[in-house]
This record gives sequence, C-alpha cells and structure tokens, in this order.
Amino acid sequence: MILQGKRVALPPAPVVHKQFESHAHTTPDAVAVVCAGQQVTYAELDARANRFAHFLVARGCGRGAKVGVCLDYSVDMLVAILGTLKAGAAYVPLDPAYPPARLKLLLGQIPDLALIVASPATAAMVESAAAEAVDLQQLSDHLAALPAAAPDTAVTGDDVCYAVFTSGSTGTPKLTAVRHEGWFNLMNWLTLEYGLHSGSHNLVVSAFGFDLSQRALMTPLFCGATQHLMASRNFDAMMAYRMLTQHEIRVVHCASSTLYLLVDWESARGGDALTRLDYILIGGEPLKVERLTDWARRENNTCTVLHQYGVAECTDVATSFDFAGYRPGEHDIAPVGRPAYNTEIHLLDEQLRGVGPGEYGEVYISGASVGAGYLNGSGPESAKFSTVVVDGETRRMYRTGDRGCVNSAGDLVVAGRMDAQVKVRGMRIDPTDIERALGRLDGVREAAVVVSHHVGDGELVAFIVPAGDDLGEQPDENDVRARLLAALPRNMVPARFVSIPRIPLSPHGKVDRAALVDACRNLYTDSATTA
Amino acid sequence: MIADQVRAIWCRELQRDDIADDDDFFALGGQSVIMARIQVAFIDELGAEVPVDQMFLNPTVASISAYIESQGAVTP
Repeated sequence: MILQGKRVALPPAPVVHKQFESHAHTTPDAVAVVCAGQQVTYAELDARANRFAHFLVARGCGRGAKVGVCLDYSVDMLVAILGTLKAGAAYVPLDPAYPPARLKLLLGQIPDLALIVASPATAAMVESAAAEAVDLQQLSDHLAALPAAAPDTAVTGDDVCYAVFTSGSTGTPKLTAVRHEGWFNLMNWLTLEYGLHSGSHNLVVSAFGFDLSQRALMTPLFCGATQHLMASRNFDAMMAYRMLTQHEIRVVHCASSTLYLLVDWESARGGDALTRLDYILIGGEPLKVERLTDWARRENNTCTVLHQYGVAECTDVATSFDFAGYRPGEHDIAPVGRPAYNTEIHLLDEQLRGVGPGEYGEVYISGASVGAGYLNGSGPESAKFSTVVVDGETRRMYRTGDRGCVNSAGDLVVAGRMDAQVKVRGMRIDPTDIERALGRLDGVREAAVVVSHHVGDGELVAFIVPAGDDLGEQPDENDVRARLLAALPRNMVPARFVSIPRIPLSPHGKVDRAALVDACRNLYTDSATTA
Repeated sequence: MIADQVRAIWCRELQRDDIADDDDFFALGGQSVIMARIQVAFIDELGAEVPVDQMFLNPTVASISAYIESQGAVTP
C-alpha cells in the first residue's frame, strides 16, 4: 500500500531563509514578530539576522557547523535562527526549561558545535559546553558595525537547517537533522494547500525543543505573516488564551494534549478565541477524539483542525487530515489523512512487501521530507534510513516504527507504535487499543494503559481519569471491567484500574508512560488499591 | 490568610492532605497539567492571575503565597 503525495516542483535551491528574505524585500514594513511589547518589521529582522550571519561567517561558522540556541522566546531567538541559516549553518534548539543536567547531556551530543547563543537568563545553563556562548544584546555594538545585507553563502536544499533531540529507545537522545529542502517543502505545502498568506498570523505555544516548534516558528515568516511569541518559558494557558483574544492571530500549531488544555480553558471560562481561528494544527500523539468533540460541535466554530502525523526524522509532518471529516465507525481512531507534497507513505509488512487496503503494516516515509539522519553517532538507529524506488526514481526512506493502515476513504490511520506493543502472557497487545476502548466508556475522561512488571509475568494496569471533576465520583471498577470485557478480548482487559486526577505528561506534552509504570510500584504495597 | 487558601487549593488538586508550607510542588507529584488546574483555581478563588512561570519559580505554598501577596489587590 502506498499513498502518494502530490508532486509539486520546488525552486532549484529550496532554502528556507530565502523565502523569508523575499518577504523582507516585498513587504519590508510588515510586522514580522511581536513579543513582550516589542514589534519588529521584516526589514529590521532581516537586517539583524544578516548582521549576526556576518558575525558567524567571520568566525568560520558556515555549512556543517551547528549553532546552539538556548534562549527564551524572544525577537533574539528569531535573529539567532535566521542568522544561523543565512550563514549556512544549522541551529539546535536548546530549551532553557530543561533541567541543567539534561542540557549538559544534550550539549555533549552536538558535533561541530561552533557557538551557543544564550542570554543572561540562560548563560549559566550552557556553561558546560565546549563552545563559547554569546549574548546578542552584549554583542549589539559589534553587530551594528557589520553589513545589513545578507552574506553571500552558497546554501543548498540538501544542507542541514536544524537538528532537534528526540528520545531514543537506547536511552541516549538522538540528534535528528532536517534538511532545507524538507523544511521548505513542508512550509510550501502548508502555505499552498491551506491557503496560508500574509494575514495568517501565528502564536507559538509549544516548548522550543519540540520539533513542531521549529515549524511553528518559521511558517508565518515563510508566508509573510506576523509571529507572536509568548514571553513564557512554560506553557501557560492563561497567557496563551489572552494573546489569542488580544491579537489578530489566525493559526496555532500544538501537540494534541496542549489543545485539550486550551479547549478546557475556553469551555470553563467562556470565549470564542479558539473557535474563531482559521487553523489549529495538532498531532504528535494519538488523538483523544472525545476531548474535542463538544468543542468542535460548538455553534459558530469556524476553526479548521488539522490532525497531522509525522516524525522528527522526516521534517515533523508527513500527512494531514481535516478533523471535520472525522466520522466514528470503520476506525474509532481519527485518521491522519493524506501525504504532504512530494511525500510518500508506504505500509509494509515484515518482509518489506506492501500490505493490502485496510491491512495493517509498518509506516515508512519517503520523499523530500526525509532528513539527514542522526548527527550523534551511527548506532543501530541509522538502519532506519534506506532507499526505495518510486516511479523509477530513487528516494530516501525512513522506517517509523509506527503501525498503520489505509481506510476505505484512502486516509492513513496510525494505530500506535510497533514497539509500544507489549506482550502479556505471550499475547501481543497495543496499549493504545485499550486506551481508546476505555475512553469511549461513560464516566471515563481519558485513560492510559501500561504493563506493570512488578508482579509475575507482568499485567496491564489502566490509569483512568474520571469524567467528573470530583475524584469521589470514580467509576466503579467492576463496572468498568464488565463494560470493557464487552468491548475487548479478555487478555486485553487490564488487571487493575487506578483512578488518577490526570494523566502525567512529558515535557513535550505526550503521555509519560515511564511515570505511570513507576506509579504501578505503589499498587503492590498498598493493599487498599488492589483489585 | 492567602497561604491557607493556597494550601487548600494545592491539597485538593494534588489529592493530598499533608502539605507543608515549604514542600516542593514537584516533589509532591505535581506536574504541568495540575499546575494548569491550580492556575484556574487561583483566578476563580483568589482573584489572582499567576503566570505558570511564576509557579515554577515559586514551587512552595510559602513562596507562591508571598508572590500573590506581592502582586497586591487583583481583580477576580
């Protein structure tokens, strides 16, 4: 089974900052970025980025070099990013909200780290790095003396533009590199397919280290719109919602679980700032449809929710689905839709043969979006990159480890990780299947299922967030079990059910399964909670 | 006392009844989603708009109460 994205020609040098520069030339006075009361035009942002690029070039920092950016959301963050790209180098986002020990580990994993851009608020966090840290504010006199025009650097679509850290199954974070061509292709697709334009003003709400944040940061600058940045290191629903209310913002990119928090805010406190948006682009984890249905059905909701799928290794987004087209039925999972331009989705079995329509296989991605691989060491993970011939053309391909199928409408459905599947008493089980079944039960708001190995061969433990606000109104365990037994094979019904106020999330907003597995330990010392 | 009200909110949202004024929010099992709930409770019950960044910087009942007091009268 193969889903083929539309073939759309890219410029000979699909280089992201050139697109930004074209807006700086045609609409120099348009506002490029608003942050904490500061407002900077395209011309000014371009000039500041050019000066920083000259600074980097003069230090020999160009193609192949990495510039760490350890800054809070600010105008300087965009100056650092654009300046790095213009110099021909690649930037690595370093989230200042990470614990210092984590940042130290990450810094040690960046090859050819030439420089780090920091601020007085972040400088102490990057002290351990072998590379020098600079502060753009302290450098301002020096930078002011450098040319305001772009340096002449030969950047190609195949050069790396950014690299983000992704959690590795081996325990060491992997530094995943994205190429200009892939990033350009992604934003060109979003712009053309969804009609983004110079009025598609954006608000960034996600953490800087996240792959989707790179796209959220650059897309408005790619289409000539205004970028709004929150002067907040941590996600803050109050501030985010206030900015949506006060500014003319049309587009938000975020993890699905971040959207739940914004929707909860709007539902609890009133308002229509979310429903008035043009687009919310979500993804990054399985969608809990029930968290959005009431909001999506609100009268006058004119916001298009795009449910997207992708991996950091292939420039973040590979497919997109208009959530308005979701109908429960054939699959209770919201599909993730069709491929981006110049992108193919392959569903293959273990012998690398294509599976049939409706059959499950492993998701492979090929095309323009496939990245440059991992920068920190080869390792077994590198084997996930290979080549494939599509229409007589050799394309690079990435094996995602995700399990999916194509539904009767021709949309991709992703049904969990190949490696999230667990074995309990010899049976292969995907916990997300059970979570979806639980989520459909009355009285259950959401659920997460893990395998606890604290007893015997391991058993499934379901963590349930009750639908009511009061934990006193916990769903009756026996009742839940009975209803689940009616929906799932017996071996998929968890041994234990634990009500918790909310599902713990990782810093990137995904379900923190490790924390839940850890929490299982307490089940076996406190007899009151055992079934 | 603001600290009493703050402690009551923390106890409710963290599902504990044994929180001391200098206990660390994260050590008590707190995380970002709970923080979002506490932010709402501060607005609804104390009339105080507290940025999440301030909650990270002031992770105890004592310090966040002092922050709220330092902000003076706030509109509910």
